[in-house]
Amino acid sequence: MISQYFDSLISGIEAKIKEDPKAFHPRKKYTLEVARLGKRLYAREGPIASPMLQGPGALPTGPIALCGVTTPFDLLNAMGVTSCFVEFIGALLASSGTVAPFLEKAEHSGYASDSCGYHRAVLGASQEGLMPHPDFLIATSCPCSGGLATMENLAHHYKKDLFLLHIPQDLSKKNVDYLARQIMEMETFVTRHTGRPLDPDRLLKVIEKTNQARELMVEIYHLAQHIPSPNSGKELGNFAIVMALLLGTDAAIDVTRAYRDEFAARLHAGSSGVPQERLRLMWIQNRIQFKNSIIPDLEKNYQASVIVDELNSMTWDPIDPHDPYVGFAERAISIPFNGGVERRVQHLKKLAQDYKIDGAINPCHWGCRQGTGARGLIEEGLKEIGVPVLNLEVDCVDTRNYAEGQLKTRLGAFFEMLHSRH
Amino acid sequence: MYYLGIDIGSLSCDAVLIDHENKIMASSVVPTGAQNRIAIERATQEVFKTAHITPKDVKATVSTGYGRDRVEERLAAVTEITCHARGIRHLLPKTNVLIDIGGQDSKTIRIDDNSLVVDFAMNDKCAAGTGRFLEAMARALQVDIEELAKLDHGASGHVTLSSMCTVFAESEVVSLIADGISPHEIVHGLNRAIATRILGLVHRVAPSINGLSVAMSGGVAHNSGVIRALSEGLNCEILVPPRPDTVGALGAALIARERDS
Repeated sequence: MISQYFDSLISGIEAKIKEDPKAFHPRKKYTLEVARLGKRLYAREGPIASPMLQGPGALPTGPIALCGVTTPFDLLNAMGVTSCFVEFIGALLASSGTVAPFLEKAEHSGYASDSCGYHRAVLGASQEGLMPHPDFLIATSCPCSGGLATMENLAHHYKKDLFLLHIPQDLSKKNVDYLARQIMEMETFVTRHTGRPLDPDRLLKVIEKTNQARELMVEIYHLAQHIPSPNSGKELGNFAIVMALLLGTDAAIDVTRAYRDEFAARLHAGSSGVPQERLRLMWIQNRIQFKNSIIPDLEKNYQASVIVDELNSMTWDPIDPHDPYVGFAERAISIPFNGGVERRVQHLKKLAQDYKIDGAINPCHWGCRQGTGARGLIEEGLKEIGVPVLNLEVDCVDTRNYAEGQLKTRLGAFFEMLHSRH
Repeated sequence: MYYLGIDIGSLSCDAVLIDHENKIMASSVVPTGAQNRIAIERATQEVFKTAHITPKDVKATVSTGYGRDRVEERLAAVTEITCHARGIRHLLPKTNVLIDIGGQDSKTIRIDDNSLVVDFAMNDKCAAGTGRFLEAMARALQVDIEELAKLDHGASGHVTLSSMCTVFAESEVVSLIADGISPHEIVHGLNRAIATRILGLVHRVAPSINGLSVAMSGGVAHNSGVIRALSEGLNCEILVPPRPDTVGALGAALIARERDS
């Protein structure tokens, strides 16, 4: 079922790109690569019979890993492992409109309905046999303990080995070295399960591609800061967190280059992502994953554009190809969700100032202690620099908890308030 | 020429008609019922009849409330937060903090000296403390909503409700009745529970209310018991304008006049 969905999505997007081959098509290319990754994750019906992928009985795809958010996916790409963080699947199920039965399945089997929708979705999908079948799992202690528990549940369900990366809270040398050593151990763990040791030449090429995509992302973010911004509300939604899955691949370079070229072309032509942009917004944490009319409504009715997301910023330096594990470790520790709230607030303040933000929206994803716990401090911190925050109460995955009328009133009042300031 | 404001809420549909000098010519409150369009028609016809005018005499209409997009002949649809703030400052110009408790939501609005909304907070996906909540409690106590407003008189205040969930609170009220607790005490406990919930919303927009003028609008502002409980909780006077349920519609009418000029 899911594989067919990706087939249909891929052929549809490819046809649209073919219609106008000279256009850059950044979001289409992004969605195409997401769909291709989804297709690879769901390409086989059952788990591989043997960890050794050579010889008779070998399946048409390589090994599959389900992971935590801060896993070094480019290292896995270098080792020929198809992987994603599990919340990616939760988001896919929500965006495809199929998530409700999986949420119900998880709830009926005892998971609390006020726990994170991403995790309920994947736990339900695993019980229904609709998760990608992993050969092994790699959990990360960041960004949340709920995600870690979900990984342990999945490992138990699939009876597969689980490796845990413990992500320290700050970037001290000791912490970086500690995590770098764990990533080396992770490499050994992966080799043991795939039977394929890491090829150092391939790793070098992958890191080169990671750094190339990184440079392009830096350019994209810089261009998006322009007034008016070439970015619009949906174009960079989920961008950085999903691009992490493609790091080290040609696909990441193709997608990021398309965005860079599209934004540069718009600026050159004097056009903006949202016509007559009046309000510049920042989206905190993650987007609402299922189809909804919030972003188009706020663009149409209030000329308000989400031009930056909390995670769409470069927090890590280029990876040193001769010392990659330290670079991977620093990158994992640097994400804004990690560490103390004060660090996160400073990160959001800097984004608000760099992008000259008028207001910020925090969806306060239902059931996310990591997300909602900090909301008061985030609101206070941004208010200090004159940026009002609208806290919503929304489950970014569970359509059953979505009250569009209530959300629209809150958003409408917020934008009326922001307009009155101008 | 006249300006019309229509507030389509979950329980009532309100209309206010003003003239070019912002003078209120007529107002109406009708139940929203199951069909918004019929309620809108009835509310507008009532104000036209009272003011002896026809729809042609209306220069501009602004709609507000959850059904604001259902009004077809409108200059604009504006949220109830902006409209209530505009309306209350017209009636009570010194208001800094407005508490609005309507049929299905409650909100607090911080207004600056230029009558602009600077912050607001709303209840979250829950009818606790709203008009619907009070309706359910009146049903459990087998009294009408007007009677409920006065029932707390003479209570000693020893009853505390542990739940603010409409469903659980209703069953708790039924249990208290079965235990022989007087309706006066139960209603007093209910009012305090509502006040406690609303105080949280007030403090989100105004951590300290010292020196601030607090007013209340919305249908629940007719309930003197809730006002008393809120006033005690905030330790300040809460001003209530005449026809508090039409403040949103008045704000909409005022915005219609401003935007049309």
